[in-house]
Amino acid sequence: MRIAFATNRGGMDDTLADRFGRAPTFTIVDVDPESGEVRETRIVENPGARSGSGAGVKAAQALADNGVEVYVGPQPGPNAYAALQHLGIRIISMTGVTVREALRAALEQLKAQQ
Amino acid sequence: MASTGAPVELVVASGKGGVGKSTLAATLAIVLARRGYRLVAVDADAEAPNLHIVLGVDRWDEEIPVYEGRVAYIVDELCTRCNACAEACVYGAVEVHDGRYWINPWICEGCITCSAACPPKAIRYRFRVKSGVVRLARSTRYGFPLVGGESAPGRPNSGKLVTETKNRGKSLLGAEGVLLVDAAAGIGCQVISSLTGAQLALLVAEPTLASLSDLKRIHRLTKHFGIAPMLVVNKYDLNPDIVGEIEDYARAENIPVIGRIPFDPAVPESMVKAVPLVEYMPDSPAAEAMLRIAEFVADKVLTDWRSWWSRYRPKKPEPYVPIIIRPGGSAK
Repeated sequence: MRIAFATNRGGMDDTLADRFGRAPTFTIVDVDPESGEVRETRIVENPGARSGSGAGVKAAQALADNGVEVYVGPQPGPNAYAALQHLGIRIISMTGVTVREALRAALEQLKAQQ
Repeated sequence: MASTGAPVELVVASGKGGVGKSTLAATLAIVLARRGYRLVAVDADAEAPNLHIVLGVDRWDEEIPVYEGRVAYIVDELCTRCNACAEACVYGAVEVHDGRYWINPWICEGCITCSAACPPKAIRYRFRVKSGVVRLARSTRYGFPLVGGESAPGRPNSGKLVTETKNRGKSLLGAEGVLLVDAAAGIGCQVISSLTGAQLALLVAEPTLASLSDLKRIHRLTKHFGIAPMLVVNKYDLNPDIVGEIEDYARAENIPVIGRIPFDPAVPESMVKAVPLVEYMPDSPAAEAMLRIAEFVADKVLTDWRSWWSRYRPKKPEPYVPIIIRPGGSAK
C-alpha cells in the first residue's frame, strides 16, 4: 500500500506539516498493511507549495501521479478535498506527530475500517 | 509571563466584512501582550490590509517581495500570426496591436494552454513575477511584532501571500506563544489560507441577516478544518431579534458565545483618530466589552487551550465539498 504524508523536510522522523496544499514535501511510504513493514520511502517536493493558485489541487495531482492510495496529514481545504475524492485517494486527518507515529496510527485506522 | 505551552494559532474571522474583526483583533493583541503572552499579530488580509492602521504602524522594518509562478509571452520573431493562442486562451489574455500578437501579463494566468496550442512554439514563460510583499514591523507601540501582506492589484494569488505572511509570523513567534491572525472577509483563498493550521477561531457577527448567512458559511469552513470556534456578537443592541437567531444557531452548533459588544459611537471616532479604542476611550461601553472578551480569551481559553480545543472542536468531520463542474457538463 502506498501512503503519502504531508511533511516539511521529509523522512520517517519528520513531523507532519501543518497544511496540505502548501506542505513543502510529501513523504511517500510503500508499506505492507498487514505486517506494517516499510518497503520503501521517498521524499518528493510538493508542486503546490510553489504554485500561485490552485495549490491544493496541484498537490492532489502530485499524489495521484505518484500512485498514492492513502493521504495522511492535516485536513486539506475544500477544493483539494474534492480533488482527492475524485482521484480515489483516501484521507486520514492527523497533525502534530512524526511520520513514523502517523504511519502506525493510520494502519490501525485502516485495519479497523475494513 | 503567561505561557501557552506550544504555539497556538487563533484566527479572527467573520465571513461578513465590516463587523469588527480588525478592531477586536487589535484589542485582543494589546490585552494578551499586557497579560504577558508572547504574541505575533498577523494581518492576513493581503488585498485590503488595515490592522497596521489600527495598531498605529506607519513604517515597516522589512518588506519581502513574494514571487509567483509564471506569465506567458510571445517571441515575436517566431510568431506566424495563426491566432491559435487567442483561440485557446479562456482568459482572453491574447491581444493584437498593429498586427503583433501580445499576451497581456495582467490577465495571463500562466495556465500554459496557449503554449501547448502554438504550432511554431513561439510562447515562453517569464518566472518570478512579483505577486505582492510580506511586511514586518518588529515591534508595534504595544510591544509585539506585526506581520502583514500586501498583494499587487490584479495578481491572483492572495492565498500564497497569506501563507508566506503566516510562515514569517510563525518563525518570528518560535516555540511558544500566540499567532493572532486577522483574516479577510469572505471565504475565498485568502481566508482558507488564514484558517489552515489554526486551532481556534474567534467568529465575529453583527445583528443582520447578511451577517448570519456569512457566519454560517465561515463556520462550515472552520468545521471542515476541525477548528474550535467561539462567537462574539458586535453591535448587539441594534437588533435583538437577529441576535436571538444568531445565538440560536450558535447554541445548536456548540459554538460558545464569549461576549457581546454594544454599538458605540466611540468606535468610529477612534478609527478616525487611528487609535485603538481601548487606548482612546477605555471607559466607553464597547471598550469595556472588548476588554472583558479579551480577558476571557487570555484567562479562560489560552491558559489551557488544548482543553478548550478538545471541548469545542467539531466532533464529526464535516467536509465542505464545493460544487464540481465536469468538463462539458453543468453543476450537479
